[in-house]
Amino acid sequence: MTALLSTRRGRFIVAFLAIQLLLPLRYYIAHRDPHDERFAWRMFSPMRTAQCQPTITLDDAPVNLGSTFHEAWVEIAKRGRFAVLEKMGAQLCEKNPGKKVVVTLSCSYLDRPNATYGGHDVCQAPEL
Amino acid sequence: MAKKRSKKGQRPAVKADAPQAASANTPTAEKAPPEKAASRPEKTSKSSSKSSKTEAKNGPAKLVTLPPAPSPAFFFGYDVPWAKLLVFRFIVFGMLGVDALLQISHAPRYFAGGFNVANLPWMDSLGPGRVGFAIGELVASLLFAFIACGVATRVLLPLVTAIYGWLYFGSQLDSYQHHYLVWLVLLLSCFVPWEKPAGTPAAQPVRAWAVRLILIQLGILYFYAAISKCNPAWMDGRALELQLQGPVRSLIDATIHMKAAAKMTVLLEFSLAFAVWTRRAWFYALPAGVLFHVGIIASGLEIGLFAWLMLGFYLLVVPNEVYAATAAALSRATADRDTLLGALAAAIRGIGTSWWMALGGVAGGMALAVLTHFDMALPVACVALAMCIGAVAATREQTLAARVGIGFLVGFAIWFGVDRKTDTAVDYYRFWGGNARRLGDPDTSERAYRRLTQIAPDNGNGHFQLGKMLMQRGQDAEALDELHAAQRLEPGKARAFTAEAEYLSKKGNRADAIKKAEEATYAEPDDASAQALVRRLGGTGAQGNGGGGDDKDDQ
Repeated sequence: MTALLSTRRGRFIVAFLAIQLLLPLRYYIAHRDPHDERFAWRMFSPMRTAQCQPTITLDDAPVNLGSTFHEAWVEIAKRGRFAVLEKMGAQLCEKNPGKKVVVTLSCSYLDRPNATYGGHDVCQAPEL
Repeated sequence: MAKKRSKKGQRPAVKADAPQAASANTPTAEKAPPEKAASRPEKTSKSSSKSSKTEAKNGPAKLVTLPPAPSPAFFFGYDVPWAKLLVFRFIVFGMLGVDALLQISHAPRYFAGGFNVANLPWMDSLGPGRVGFAIGELVASLLFAFIACGVATRVLLPLVTAIYGWLYFGSQLDSYQHHYLVWLVLLLSCFVPWEKPAGTPAAQPVRAWAVRLILIQLGILYFYAAISKCNPAWMDGRALELQLQGPVRSLIDATIHMKAAAKMTVLLEFSLAFAVWTRRAWFYALPAGVLFHVGIIASGLEIGLFAWLMLGFYLLVVPNEVYAATAAALSRATADRDTLLGALAAAIRGIGTSWWMALGGVAGGMALAVLTHFDMALPVACVALAMCIGAVAATREQTLAARVGIGFLVGFAIWFGVDRKTDTAVDYYRFWGGNARRLGDPDTSERAYRRLTQIAPDNGNGHFQLGKMLMQRGQDAEALDELHAAQRLEPGKARAFTAEAEYLSKKGNRADAIKKAEEATYAEPDDASAQALVRRLGGTGAQGNGGGGDDKDDQ
């Protein structure tokens, strides 16, 4: 290890390996969104089969997500990606100041009980 | 004379080996870090042609034993034959060049409606938009082609890594695992000596610690992929059953069943996690890994190019001896210019390093670029041309110029081939027009559909969407022309007939409206909206089950 750390390319190798070995652990240890499997090499995991239904209301009136956001983003939201739904909520809050934007995500899973996230005004508390 | 040269060609001349060996083993080379010395690109075209002539005269060059590796030898003593690097470079970077172009149809979704979520939070506003994404992929494709041909890899690889990183990290839209893996491999590839010095035999080993790191990265991928499957939903076969399609599913159902297949997958991934970077275990890793990924391709899983790319990476797991033996055999077969193969190889070498190759390649490449339909293709090609002319003028190296010519030809041939053999360009304009229409931007939508009908005049959807768009904007005559074109090109679809019937009905021409609506039901008897229109207008059309009428082919 000392020999490896004594050269620049050796230090690069150590840093690269450390990041690549530790980064996927983030999903298991410190990840608030179970659907976000990026950087974790979770190919074909059971989470991939999760089915989520995102709904957003603007002052209690449902928002048509398909005509507000590109359908590719709606598809990602249907996979339960918190960051995308939160950004959608944030954009609606910005475009509709003073109005209540409620984001709700209901998901069913293969390997765990069904769950509902959010359900509150994201203009007040942005995180699901 | 010929006989004399032939005899010499068969004799391994020790003296004549010296110039060829120099690139990897002169005292100067030994002083430099081994991979730097071995990978130093040729200096001039003269040296190239001189060494080629020497090789032709004296037969294949001898392999040189590499100097002792610095510690730790696990990384810094890792050697691969040049042939392995060359084959990997050409196939994998060529594949990436094609993949980059195939992504272009996704460009219209980038920043559509001003919305973006980046893979790195601070990049939300820095991610690519439609134009940026299209240009980025075109440039990346071209750079991959240049790299595949061995042109200025030390400069172009960091550049394409940065572009690829921007496209990937700038948006979560296409954040598949394989894009992340490709970016990591590109990053490590920046440290691989991809350009074989002129005159160095392809069987000659070269030190390449970054190749070992790429293989370890694959091992990490397999390891965590296996970890993610260590739960009851995978182990009892349910998760696999939900995702598996195609002939592999039928095979598994008929033989070992899902539960056993799921468990075997985990075992296989755990074993590959260690075998793929352990040279002694390649006898197992190569067939097991290749079969695994071929199985994934056959299973119908929606993972794009990932499995193909993994197969490409397995070129690094093919034993070095296979490459070395093949390269040595080829070298022997082409060493004698008096044989057909030798003469052919010499001719290719001669043409491939000439100014004619440079000129012909650039001219041919530009001609192909002009013929492609990708948005922004011509400006990108012109900038590439200007930059290449600048680089060649600055160095005045004939070999570099010839390689640039080859890179141009290969790069734009990939553009042309992908354009002609796939619907990428058509899909780009189709999605662009559809997005703009749904998100309330009719001007942009019209522009996209007009371009679509220009590049694909036989595409009925383009004419239909343009016709509908023009009708909404009050350009009735032109709109009807487009709808008629759509009716001609899509005789089995009701939508263009229905749209015209609606128009005629609104204009108070009820008789013609009924006639057109009936035509719609004859074209597509199951179309619910056509049947409803006929009923509303009081006509009689063909009876169907009312299940058709899908008008979502621009999504």
